[in-house]
Amino acid sequence: MSDAPGADAESLPGPLAGLRILELADEKGQFCGKLLGDLGADVVKIEPPGGERNRYVGPFLDDIPHPERSLSFWYYNTSKRGITLNLETADGRQLFGRLAATSDVILETFRAGFLASLGLGYESLRKQNPRLIMCALTPFGQTGPWRDYASSDLLHMAAGGEMASCGYDEADLPNAPPIAPGGGNAWHIGSHFAYMAIMATLVYRTVAGQGQYIDASIHEACALTTEAAIANYIYRGEVLRRQTGRHHAPGPTPRTQFRAKDGTYVTALVAGRLNPGYVKDLANLLDNYGMAGDLKEPQYQDPTVIAANTSHIIDDLVANFIASLPAEEVYHAAQERGFTWGAVRAPEALLDDPHLHDRRFWKKVEHPELGRSFVYPGEAAIYNDSPWRISRRAPLIGEHNTKIFCDELGLSRGELSVLAENRVI
Amino acid sequence: MSCPRALENVRVVDFSWVRAGPWATRWLGAFGAEIIKIEWPENERGRLPSTTTPQNLEVDLNTSGNFNDTNVNKKSLSLNLRSAKGLEIVKRLIAISDIVIENFSSRVLQKWGLGYEELCKVKPDIVYVSMSGYGHTGRHHHYTTFGPVAQAVSGLTYLSGLPDKLPAGWGWSYMDDTGGMYGAMCALTGLYHRNMTGRGQHIDQAQMVSSVPLNGPALLDFTANGRGSRRPGYPPGNRAHWPGTPLVNSYRGPTVAPHNAYRTDPGGYNDWCVIVCHSDAEWERLVQVMGDPSWATSSKFATVTGRLQHQEELDDKIEAWSMTLGKYELTERCQAAGVRALPVQSSEDRVEHDPQLRHREMYLAMEHPALGRHKVQNAPFKLSATPVSNHLPSPLIGQHTREIVEGLLGYSHEELCAGFADGTFWPTKRARFPYMDEMLR
Repeated sequence: MSDAPGADAESLPGPLAGLRILELADEKGQFCGKLLGDLGADVVKIEPPGGERNRYVGPFLDDIPHPERSLSFWYYNTSKRGITLNLETADGRQLFGRLAATSDVILETFRAGFLASLGLGYESLRKQNPRLIMCALTPFGQTGPWRDYASSDLLHMAAGGEMASCGYDEADLPNAPPIAPGGGNAWHIGSHFAYMAIMATLVYRTVAGQGQYIDASIHEACALTTEAAIANYIYRGEVLRRQTGRHHAPGPTPRTQFRAKDGTYVTALVAGRLNPGYVKDLANLLDNYGMAGDLKEPQYQDPTVIAANTSHIIDDLVANFIASLPAEEVYHAAQERGFTWGAVRAPEALLDDPHLHDRRFWKKVEHPELGRSFVYPGEAAIYNDSPWRISRRAPLIGEHNTKIFCDELGLSRGELSVLAENRVI
Repeated sequence: MSCPRALENVRVVDFSWVRAGPWATRWLGAFGAEIIKIEWPENERGRLPSTTTPQNLEVDLNTSGNFNDTNVNKKSLSLNLRSAKGLEIVKRLIAISDIVIENFSSRVLQKWGLGYEELCKVKPDIVYVSMSGYGHTGRHHHYTTFGPVAQAVSGLTYLSGLPDKLPAGWGWSYMDDTGGMYGAMCALTGLYHRNMTGRGQHIDQAQMVSSVPLNGPALLDFTANGRGSRRPGYPPGNRAHWPGTPLVNSYRGPTVAPHNAYRTDPGGYNDWCVIVCHSDAEWERLVQVMGDPSWATSSKFATVTGRLQHQEELDDKIEAWSMTLGKYELTERCQAAGVRALPVQSSEDRVEHDPQLRHREMYLAMEHPALGRHKVQNAPFKLSATPVSNHLPSPLIGQHTREIVEGLLGYSHEELCAGFADGTFWPTKRARFPYMDEMLR
């Protein structure tokens, strides 16, 4: 059986090949642009002269701050080409209009109403290009009392409801604050929904031939992303409480994180699953390591005995078993026997995961200007007929100005120089 | 409805259950695709067990509130796929469909004769999206997940919490929500590709694998700089940086202070507000909003490096002020002055108190035949030409069996009745719901 993704598929174009996207996005939408680019679209990132401010977000390569060394910018801007353009100049607006006339999608994250105030709103741009799709991805959407509010990842995690569901048991940390999950996920959540809306409108365009305007809200996207919290309130009036490393719930629930021998943790959902069959399998798993204790005794095939000994099983037997082994060993031993358990890994541990290597997940991306290449995380899904791939590293500031303004739009080198002198590009 | 919808005339055969898969097809349905959910009461997971049935109703297959919200915009066909007849019927349905979505464990549908290769024979350009835990390739494809385990193994859990404490992780199956996003994104991308090229494909989406790219900057910090996330002061809770530890970016934006959650009046469980200042100018505006207290004008707080260095004191002082205001009032005052602040909002806050979500009509009521009238979550985007809406409540199990079998597939009414009698459409030993008896008249 061939387990590797089809090697022949790797030479095929991505599923979005042929699409031209103009990206006017900061931290809010750059991940959406990356997804479109990694899936084969020609994403042209338009930055203000001098570069977009997320080039100044760390960490930086070798901790040397520089707009071409932001690892965050690198990651979120793969598979894009880059140009600079000052939209607040007449020349800049005119050039943008020409680019928009031949593009399929504009993705923008400016404050609500900004592009329209420059005469570059959707209604103006679509006159030249009725097939144009424009997605405005903003913190709160284009309307409403919070429309002009300022935001950040932390702010969205608060108002979206993520924080109200994440944190600690009272027993683990009394009076703990709600905790916002890390990693910039407000932007991921917004970008996922924006990507979905853009694709739906692109599919519609293949049928109806017309483009449209998308008003997407990160706040709404975050508010939708707390699983059953809203349903619990709507149907039962319950407001769920935070539980350490596991599901929010109306009241306290048994713990699911156990400290392993190496000081890291294992997520093992045992409570609620303790029927005789599960206990038998659990006894066999623990017995392999001489840690089954009394769990192999026949009395544990009686549900009432199990119920009476739940705390013994979880807090003694399972906890001691996990404490006796490294977390990775518990994870694999348990999964191989059908237990849905996992090691709580730091991201860097993923580099050693053989399963990801089998899936050719890690990608070496060349940075020719540095004479180096770096390993990047790759695709979330394997497309067997049109691969997801990182086609190039993030663009340098204005890297494709000549290619796009001269070779594609037909400006002369002299005109390009004038535009640079006048801070248009 | 007079407006066209983006996915009009797109048909999806939905073999998915629990959360991630159904969350994916819910959105395809909101765009106007016809979603046909294939269900079987004996191995149903998603309707039961239910912890979201209203207190005044009995828990049964049709009364889960969370199922309703997760499965609006769909139809339900109850069908025994482990029978030859059931298999033949579903293949007939797939032959006139565009997309198949499933979230069984890896390779289960293959064993049942419904793998991608097999379905290409009945529908050569089918877009087939598999949403499994670890994917269909790779040595651990047989491992199983649900949200919290995918989140743990992929590094997401570790990135949330206070330093030197247990990982706080995510308080729900974030990767069921987000896995659902990826399922829908893959289906739409595959559909676009099919419309452009005429070719379908198999898309192998995996919950654990899809989680990993969400840690991009942390991973690059390791692969390019050799710096791992197991380090002093990380993860830094709600802060951008933990005081007293080396100054390093924490992968959620600029390294600044203040950047934290603060208690607000009256000090209840969710009475918190977050405040973030991205610049000295924003800090100065916050000082004004606080009424220019003398502590805040101290030079040690005048610079971002000073505020980071004296963060404990800074946060204590800000909280002493924030405790004097309710979270919405604090938000309004700060935002009016151009300071980044928003309340921590519970589910109740979002549904009842959030003026923005109310204005955007995020929660509109919808009638469900078993649950009654309740609010349902709407889409987070507005499409100008093809509005998105919830147009069907979640289906009762098997509610559309007759409509699909007779109306869409052209079987006779006698064949439908025979299928109920022989256990193809409902287990013979299981009591039928009244609407099923209605179908057989």
